Amino acid sequence: MDNFDHILLFKTNINCAADKRFLCAVFDCNIDVEQWTVDLEDEDCVLRIVSYTLTHKHIIELLNYHGYACCELT
Amino acid sequence: MRTRNIDKVQLVKQKAIELIVKNGLEGFSMNKLAKACNISVATLYIYYQDRDDLIIKVAVEEGRLMSDAMIKGFDPDLPFEQGLRIQWENRYQYMIANPVMALFFDQLRSSSYQQEFLSSFLKSFQAIVGKFMHNIIERGEIEAMPFEVYWSVAFAPLYNLIRFETEGRSVGGKPFKMTNEILWTTFDLVVKALKKQ
Repeated sequence: MDNFDHILLFKTNINCAADKRFLCAVFDCNIDVEQWTVDLEDEDCVLRIVSYTLTHKHIIELLNYHGYACCELT
Repeated sequence: MRTRNIDKVQLVKQKAIELIVKNGLEGFSMNKLAKACNISVATLYIYYQDRDDLIIKVAVEEGRLMSDAMIKGFDPDLPFEQGLRIQWENRYQYMIANPVMALFFDQLRSSSYQQEFLSSFLKSFQAIVGKFMHNIIERGEIEAMPFEVYWSVAFAPLYNLIRFETEGRSVGGKPFKMTNEILWTTFDLVVKALKKQ
């Protein structure tokens, strides 16, 4: 059976192309991030990160620091 | 540890198709799907990257299933009537067993997902069906004609009967129930129309 503990999910307020560009700048060159996507069409603006090393706390602190709302999607 | 539950994945697919058929692609969202499946939105995002990813994966998988069902037991080297009969049988069985899929594929047809949907199976499917058409023309069983002409004569009557059957009505709202006799009488007329005399 597959293990999905490396998929980190967040409810955010990232909802426009400019916000997405910020994520590109932060995550595209981050070697700890295998893959990331944000669903701009979703009402929870779900951010999905695949990482075997980062935790929810890391990402929440990072986005909060840059002024974005971000909490774990459960 | 979060694990993939096969039944849940199947439920997600089934409900996604139902919701898209009922509300259209525009009215479809991950939140509505999660509610319909009685699971959390987070669970959906474990399985799929986002809404687009979900729609494309469901469409591609269903396209492959449809394609496999349509060419089951079919050999492009078969004689014309025998080969066409298997295709009619396969298409009829698939459409009757999966009435909602025709409506789902209709939704995709006019959307940006159509290309990816088609590319999942069209190449191998067209190769087989195309080879069959090439063979029957080369053997002189039917006249050479554009593919669209062949398809329209060979399959449009079948799909029209299936539509009557699904809707339970024919022209002018007249009640309709498909029978083997109606199906295969129509088939015989199609064979007669296409077969070189």
